[in-house]
Amino acid sequence: MVSRSVRADLEEVFRATYPRVVAVAARVLGSREGAEDVAQEVFLTFGRSSVPAGEASRWLAVAAAHTALNHLRSGRRRASREEAAGDGGAVGPDVADAVVTLDERRRVRAALARLPRRQAVALVLRHSGLSYAEVAAALDLSPGSVGTTVRRAESALREELNRHAPSD
Amino acid sequence: MRHPTDGTLRRLVDEPQGVADADREHVAGCPACLSGLAAAERDAAAAGAALDVRAALDIEDTTDVDAAWRRLSSAVAADGHRRAATTTPGRRWRTALRSPLVAVIGVAALVTGAGAAAAADWLPFFHAEKIAPVTAPQADLIKLPELDDFGELKVTEEIRVRPVESAAAAAKATGLSVPAVGELPRGVTGTPSYHIGQRTSALFTFSADKAAKFSADRGEPLPPPPPGLDGSQFRLNAGPGLAMVWAEGRPVPAMVVVRAVAPTAYSSGIPFETARDYLLSLPVIPDDVAAQLRGFSGDGTTLPLFMSAERLKSAAADVGGHPATVFSSRDGTMAGVVWVDGGVVTAVAGSLSADEVLSVARGLRVDR
Repeated sequence: MVSRSVRADLEEVFRATYPRVVAVAARVLGSREGAEDVAQEVFLTFGRSSVPAGEASRWLAVAAAHTALNHLRSGRRRASREEAAGDGGAVGPDVADAVVTLDERRRVRAALARLPRRQAVALVLRHSGLSYAEVAAALDLSPGSVGTTVRRAESALREELNRHAPSD
Repeated sequence: MRHPTDGTLRRLVDEPQGVADADREHVAGCPACLSGLAAAERDAAAAGAALDVRAALDIEDTTDVDAAWRRLSSAVAADGHRRAATTTPGRRWRTALRSPLVAVIGVAALVTGAGAAAAADWLPFFHAEKIAPVTAPQADLIKLPELDDFGELKVTEEIRVRPVESAAAAAKATGLSVPAVGELPRGVTGTPSYHIGQRTSALFTFSADKAAKFSADRGEPLPPPPPGLDGSQFRLNAGPGLAMVWAEGRPVPAMVVVRAVAPTAYSSGIPFETARDYLLSLPVIPDDVAAQLRGFSGDGTTLPLFMSAERLKSAAADVGGHPATVFSSRDGTMAGVVWVDGGVVTAVAGSLSADEVLSVARGLRVDR
């Protein structure tokens, strides 16, 4: 049952975009459970909003990136709890094959939290498949400067990960 | 020709069709640019690997959208009930009172879903000089009566919140100084937007008949009102206020700083103490809430900040020599601090830790 104050196209938009929104948040949080929580929060806000339908997909991706980054900043304790709990199977049985190990993921999250917000969002959105034009529109940047912002973010991410890499 | 920028080289990595032909041709024949392009490719691949966790890759194929939709539907329905409970006619005053004054509560509600907790009313006789938390289970806060359950509530000056261009405009419109924020917490960036609310005012007339009917509906007999309470009028004022919001387009602001003239209330008839003692004695007010309210100094200078015990925790602190209440959500997603200084309520809140909001609060500079 859905209350009447909610936009009429919520279910349609939800079904079309939910997995993608979860994936955006998961790239930030490195955890499926946390990402689904973020997606629920984002869709709840979207349901009350008057964002034009044509911009919904982009708005949701941006909101998911921001909200997940907010959770990163404020949810450090929760993140450590999730890791302590083995992350509830988010990685899957073939954990040994996972591209990024838990420790690496923790370092990625820490590095993302340290990036300037705009760089972090641009980075996540680009790697979530948004085009340069979409990222530009989302962040109010010129398409030309999206490349510069993403490049700086990737360079900073590499430096952060190298700086905090385990000394093995 | 000049070398293309690093940004252009980056775009060549994964969206070459967006790069001008001249730039592409230059790069193909320029050792320096080819080297830069190779570096951009390496960093892009490393970032891609770092971000494309297996969880993210699998999600698009394996997510149970039906289950997720059921979860959202029930959250939306619950949210709708909470909103319905706070926006029915006659309840505007409560909404009005909390929007400009303690916009922080709006943020708390947004971030924590504690709409019902934030919606709880305070007893209407104040010249607020300090703030104290009233913590109770959310179920008890929902049960708290509304003013209009006890009489007629007429909003005489509607709350109007609107954005303004600048700090100077906010100060001019409200007569309040706009605080200068020292160091921003990590992750809070950019310049704030400014919003102002003018003074809001309401007139409440107590009705013994209406109060009796309300209590009877709840299955609780109404104790006889003290002489003179029936028909007594109370005027409630709050604001003006201003808010600085660091949002940068995201749905939940990273941080807000709010200043507002604290609420005051005036009784036209019986003494404040008589009305307060009577209201606190009503069986419809949960015992734990009444006990906490009764514990205030009793001089009508303490503004209760209602909090859901399940969602928020509070602690006492000190900001510039003034007692302050720090509250934070139990899930760690937000925190805020609120205090009163010279009849002005100030609040700092956001997707921050308690330490971070306190640090911002203590770093605020206000010209008088």
